[in-house]
Amino acid sequence: MLNFCEWLEQTKLVSTIGGTGWMYVTFSVMHYFSWFVLVGTIVLIDLRVLGVAARSQSVSRLAGQLFPWTWTALGLALFSGFVMFATGAGDFYPDRVFRVKIGVIALALIFTFIVQRNVPKWDRAPSISAGGKLLAFISLALWVGTILAGVEVPAISGLG
Amino acid sequence: MFHFLLTLSKWLESTWWGTGARSTLWGYPFVQLTHFSGLSLWLGTNIAVDLRLLGVGKKQQTASQLSDALFAWNWTGFGIAVLGGFLLLSASASTYVQNPAFQVKLGILVPTALVWHIVVQRKTRGWGKTQETPAIAKLAGLAELLLWVCVITAAVLIPNY
Repeated sequence: MLNFCEWLEQTKLVSTIGGTGWMYVTFSVMHYFSWFVLVGTIVLIDLRVLGVAARSQSVSRLAGQLFPWTWTALGLALFSGFVMFATGAGDFYPDRVFRVKIGVIALALIFTFIVQRNVPKWDRAPSISAGGKLLAFISLALWVGTILAGVEVPAISGLG
Repeated sequence: MFHFLLTLSKWLESTWWGTGARSTLWGYPFVQLTHFSGLSLWLGTNIAVDLRLLGVGKKQQTASQLSDALFAWNWTGFGIAVLGGFLLLSASASTYVQNPAFQVKLGILVPTALVWHIVVQRKTRGWGKTQETPAIAKLAGLAELLLWVCVITAAVLIPNY
């Protein structure tokens, strides 16, 4: 796998992107932008489930409006993230902090799927159970965790 | 004027929060976390309303309804982002104020985007009453979206200078 990463890094396309300032900046901006939209929309839905945001509308109404943008933003974030990863794949792949970041993202996504699946059920109930609120809180905390993990990669490992 | 900014910067760097953000292992990432978490709320809510004004995606509610529902957390996010930004600035204020990308970001782009956001937010009450938004609303929403992309671009370029 490390061999693949080192190969990927030096392919013409990837090394051009990594070596051309405006290209790398474009993907970096895409990554930040889509990450803010991704985390922002999810956190808002979680806050709604917790009963502290957008109380003027039902959970399913807010979630129905925001989730499509969430998943689109995730697609863009993964795409731009992969491109940036590729430009330094040989360094990123073995890095422990980077692996923690990917792990936290995977966990956060699992909880987001669970939240999304529960939305119709929570809508039908007169009020959302403590268990539901706990789920939303964990989702929120994990997504904030992805931001922390993201800033720690350059801070601790000096990558990116 | 510039001399004043530099003096102010040195003072910010010497404060307990500026020093903490700069020189403790956890200080700087935590300050970045604050800034980016606030930005997630702020930009997430801004972009959501912009996309709804543009008519992209589901139309479960009007732009006006969405904007009203997200209003409180929109400005809460702004507050958190400004707090985080202030702490980030304090860590190395004198280098930031001399950085062209930062000067453009905070001096030109952020004020422009912020004023535009307030205009759009207020206008959305009228524009966003119907499921289909008028063309001017779509244009305004797109303009706001692009302005915030410019702000992020300037921010990303800061380390380059």
